[in-house]
Amino acid sequence: MAYASLIRNFHNFTCRVLSTSNRLVHNVSPNVWEEKHRSESDKPTFMRNPYKYKKQECILCKLNIKPDYKNVRLLSQFQSRFTGRIYGRHITGLCKNQQRKVEQEILKAQNAGLMGYYTKDVAFCKDPKLFDPNHPFRPHKY
Amino acid sequence: MPIYELPLLLRIMPKPEIVSTLKRAATAIFEKGGFIRKIENLGQKDLPAKTSSHGVVSRQAHYFVIYFDVPPKHISNLEDIFNRDIDIVRNRIYKHDLTVNNKPCTLEDELKPPPYRRDVQKLLKITERQESRKKKFSYKSGLNYYPFQK
Repeated sequence: MAYASLIRNFHNFTCRVLSTSNRLVHNVSPNVWEEKHRSESDKPTFMRNPYKYKKQECILCKLNIKPDYKNVRLLSQFQSRFTGRIYGRHITGLCKNQQRKVEQEILKAQNAGLMGYYTKDVAFCKDPKLFDPNHPFRPHKY
Repeated sequence: MPIYELPLLLRIMPKPEIVSTLKRAATAIFEKGGFIRKIENLGQKDLPAKTSSHGVVSRQAHYFVIYFDVPPKHISNLEDIFNRDIDIVRNRIYKHDLTVNNKPCTLEDELKPPPYRRDVQKLLKITERQESRKKKFSYKSGLNYYPFQK
């Protein structure tokens, strides 16, 4: 009895293997089998170019900050502490769109009396610097 | 009705007078058929520069921002009313910015050397087209010399 059940089990097992595995199926010619498997597993997998640089973004786009005329502390970071002048795009490292917006908002703040034209609030003078005017992203015009 | 923002700078005065000035400004808005969404008090602060308004020099001001809706045709009227108010040092009316920034950052393109930038390439294309439109003297026209000044 024990032998019979073992043989039956073995038979069941091999049946399962035969039905699932292609390796043991005889009626498939080796060439076809090879082609099929090459197309599935031997194919080079898709991979992104590992040497490609990450896309550079300006600080306002990256952090998704919208310049606002009431946010004087942020706007005064783009202003010289000595002359109150708005730094250019080559110094601030902002994209064209954001630089235009920052300049607009600074003008609005100045008109509303929130921000000085030639001065920077002393409280904001020691804020962390977003850029160094002496080492601009692109060279000065002069 | 679009949303507007009104940064109001009031001269230094005791609290009841500030209240009455704000009430005056608010009623002016209500009379024009508008409504107020929010009033922000930014506190008493130093002005960036000494400012003279209505014959009085002020170095400090009470800062308020009023968010309100009003039909656009009344904006100039409101400005006139606020400019006449002697307790208001400065006022501006700005449109409330509701736009969402969904433009992709173009910094990468801008940092490239000029001939690789998209806007420069556009300019180059325009000049190319203009140059191609100009008539060029052809040496095969029978003349053996260039007839124009070089």
